[in-house]
Amino acid sequence: MLLEIHNLAKRYDCHRGLAPISLSVGSGELIAIVGHNGAGKSTLLKLLASWMPPDEGSMLIEGIDSRHRSAVVKKIGFIPEVPNLFEFFSVEYNLTLFASLLNTPLHRVETLLGEFKLTSHRKTKVQALSKGLKQRVSIARALLANPSVLLLDEPTSGLDFETTRDIYLLLGAMHRAGKTIIFTSHRPEEIKGLATRILLLHEGNLAFDGSTQDYFQSAPHAQLYAWQ
Amino acid sequence: MAVKLLLVLIRNDLGIAFKNKSFFLILFIPLFVFGSLYLSDGIDAGASKLKIGLIQQAAYVPAITQSITASSALIEAVWVRDEKQGVQLLKEHSLDALLTLDDKASDGLVLVVLKEYSLKTLSIVQLFSAMQKTAQGDRTDWITHIQSLHQGGVQRETLPTWILMLVLLVGFVILPAQVAEEKEKKLLLALLQTPIHEMQWLLAKVALGMILIFSGVLLLHLLSRFPPPHLGDYLTFVIAGSFCFSAYGVLLGFLCRTQASARTLGMIFYLPHLLPSALSDVSHQLSAVAPFLPSYWLYGPLQATLLEDGRLVDSLYDWIYLVLLGVLMLWASYALMKRRWLM
Repeated sequence: MLLEIHNLAKRYDCHRGLAPISLSVGSGELIAIVGHNGAGKSTLLKLLASWMPPDEGSMLIEGIDSRHRSAVVKKIGFIPEVPNLFEFFSVEYNLTLFASLLNTPLHRVETLLGEFKLTSHRKTKVQALSKGLKQRVSIARALLANPSVLLLDEPTSGLDFETTRDIYLLLGAMHRAGKTIIFTSHRPEEIKGLATRILLLHEGNLAFDGSTQDYFQSAPHAQLYAWQ
Repeated sequence: MAVKLLLVLIRNDLGIAFKNKSFFLILFIPLFVFGSLYLSDGIDAGASKLKIGLIQQAAYVPAITQSITASSALIEAVWVRDEKQGVQLLKEHSLDALLTLDDKASDGLVLVVLKEYSLKTLSIVQLFSAMQKTAQGDRTDWITHIQSLHQGGVQRETLPTWILMLVLLVGFVILPAQVAEEKEKKLLLALLQTPIHEMQWLLAKVALGMILIFSGVLLLHLLSRFPPPHLGDYLTFVIAGSFCFSAYGVLLGFLCRTQASARTLGMIFYLPHLLPSALSDVSHQLSAVAPFLPSYWLYGPLQATLLEDGRLVDSLYDWIYLVLLGVLMLWASYALMKRRWLM
């Protein structure tokens, strides 16, 4: 298994963030984590990305304990909901900086600029980019080290229909190229034709884990998204 | 309706000011300034007396000692063993001035002070002139010469204060805001998605602070055209001070979630570290408070090295203190970073 999660849990001050969760992720899966706001989707991704330490539980990435940060950090790429880029610097600088820190050859920056149609924006400061373009830069940065798993937190949040479609096309293309992808969404209907597996979180608990087809016929989906 | 909306907005803005602690800063500054002025004005009558050192073996003209004794409400005579002890007490701010005999003028006195161009020196000279006129009429002034322990003019005398101000500005204003900004915008978490070690990030921030401080200090020396007398000793102290206060600033940044909070917290630390140390020369009470602040452990040796021909070996404990405090601050920041504190 590419990713093995054992009883991973996180509590916030006054309410439970994520109840102990265990699951495995195989290579090449495209998993959508769905659920209402506050269900624990972002918390799970942040724990997987080591953005916060878990209260309990552990995680293995390609058999390596995630607590060995330096050993696993290049195996996971995380794209947060709000792009965390150095806004005052250019697209090229942002990618080159992280390529240097990740010890990635600089020609990888050129390749990603081309693949993500960012070549014409390479000298543009990030603050001048649209949200959709910032999201592209953010994904390109996460792919610099060619990680085994790509985590995306609400990748289409706040994007218009066109840009949302572009992002999903991009995810589909990366999945076909063999990348393992886990992303969150609070709109299950949008990802119907994209995900190969769906995890439904409800109030910090894993309410469903199965194929996309089974999910849309399941009782938890019907209960939680009855109005859709 | 318009007024109601305005009031709603004002309430919201006050809420934000309260949340990012700007409100506390506004309350803190007057309280702090009042406290400092209370100490430096010397409400205590004893503290406002001038402490004048007299050498036990020196043959002062009787009229001088009688006048000093008669002016006990204004002057406190402190008898010292010899000139060396008097100078030492002067440097420790236990004396305001030392009177020695002038070899070149009979009955004349040399007034030894820390700073020649200061209000305190001026008041001592005026007081002795008045005492002499009362005792002897229109004869020559008793004080025939003023010797300053701090060499150089006003520019040079104020240099340690400017350097301290610069060090604290970088440490308590610039660095905390920058650290908090990287936390607030999740840039630090992005950097931690690379193989860099937490300590590398911390050391880079400390190095940034030290570079900024060194650039400022260099410019101050270039503009004042005053090279430090003992460059090696001086640099060693500036390295220790800039390291200590840069690490201090990084820790303050780590204690805040947002840039606005960091700016406020930085200012709350900036003034109390700057003023008591910088004003310790003009107040007995502030000079008693100042050694409790880390800033004084930098200010004192800076003053000694730049103005009193001091050497590193004379202030070795201060140097060790600054380095150890810097290491402690760095370690605390590392512990918070490991826990992803307020990130």
